[in-house]
Amino acid sequence: MKVQEFTKGILKRNPVLGLVLGLCPVLAITTKVENALGMSLAFTFVIVLSNLLISSLKKFIPRDVRIPTFIVIIASFVTIVEMLIHGYSPPLYEQLGIFLPLITVNCIVLGRAEAFASKRPVSETLLDTLGMSVGFALSIIVISFLREFFGTGKIVVFGHQIIPGLLSSPAVGMILPPGAFLVMGILLAVMKKAKVM
Amino acid sequence: MVGKEEVKPVAVLVITCMVWGALLGLIHGITEKKIEEAERSELYRTLSEIFPNAQFEEEEGHYLCLENGKVVGYAIVVEERGFGGRMEVLVGISEEGTVAGVRILTHGETPGLGSRVAEEEFLVQFIGKDLEKIALKRDGGEIEGVTGATISSRAVVRAVRSGLENLLGVVR
Repeated sequence: MKVQEFTKGILKRNPVLGLVLGLCPVLAITTKVENALGMSLAFTFVIVLSNLLISSLKKFIPRDVRIPTFIVIIASFVTIVEMLIHGYSPPLYEQLGIFLPLITVNCIVLGRAEAFASKRPVSETLLDTLGMSVGFALSIIVISFLREFFGTGKIVVFGHQIIPGLLSSPAVGMILPPGAFLVMGILLAVMKKAKVM
Repeated sequence: MVGKEEVKPVAVLVITCMVWGALLGLIHGITEKKIEEAERSELYRTLSEIFPNAQFEEEEGHYLCLENGKVVGYAIVVEERGFGGRMEVLVGISEEGTVAGVRILTHGETPGLGSRVAEEEFLVQFIGKDLEKIALKRDGGEIEGVTGATISSRAVVRAVRSGLENLLGVVR
């Protein structure tokens, strides 16, 4: 077991700002910090469990059909999780419901299955996916914080106002799609310049 | 003859799909009733936000709202097309035929922009209004649309109007 399998996902190989993967859900949901928190939770749940399963089944999955097999496992897993949460925990479903189907198409989950879980032991897969989850959560929280703050002038998380309205005329464009690309581009440029990645 | 090496990938994929398919079917069977129950109790919870002390009875596609056995209002769920897809709107009316309350049950509007039509601030405007006044101000009515979300606001207005029209048919 190596600690760097965990830490690499946070900065050096950050899935969003380092590997630039899974941008579709990232750009779509980072309009509010609240969304980012919900998405991070659902994402962690799915990536860790589905990749542990893939890692433990890797001996039985032939190379030629590995991608379809991974997809079947991930998609079924997401659907099962969605049905269980919907049926047994409606309040949680209300918060996470819309994010769960998005995770099926999140290429970070498939990316880690292909690049890591299908080749490494279960213990290292656990560290890798946990690290990736922390990295994913940090980047989307930062992006959504910037977008919500400049787009609405305040930060509201689950009904609690964290930062009150500080801007008198917020730039609504920041919570629209162009804002997502702007924030993403600026963050990537800053990270490159600072040579963090 | 087809060799073992060629059969194995196909077999594994077929088995994977069968196992997961069966598992999905099984869990769907278990959770189906639970999900239905959860959605129903969610609907009743929303109904009692509009009619706080009422009991509800389902009747031919709409809901009767009763207080001590006396009808105090009606409610109906209307489907409408919003900016981001299907939208489900719960419309409640009072005995007098004016809006008693509006709630958005599900929607796919742009988060932080169109999604604001689901907030109290916008929906409270409908309360007490009759069919004539329910239209956006720019369309000659009395409802102030959400800034930057005219299409979403109009969709809610359309939903409330059709719900109200439907229920007025029931009242008479």
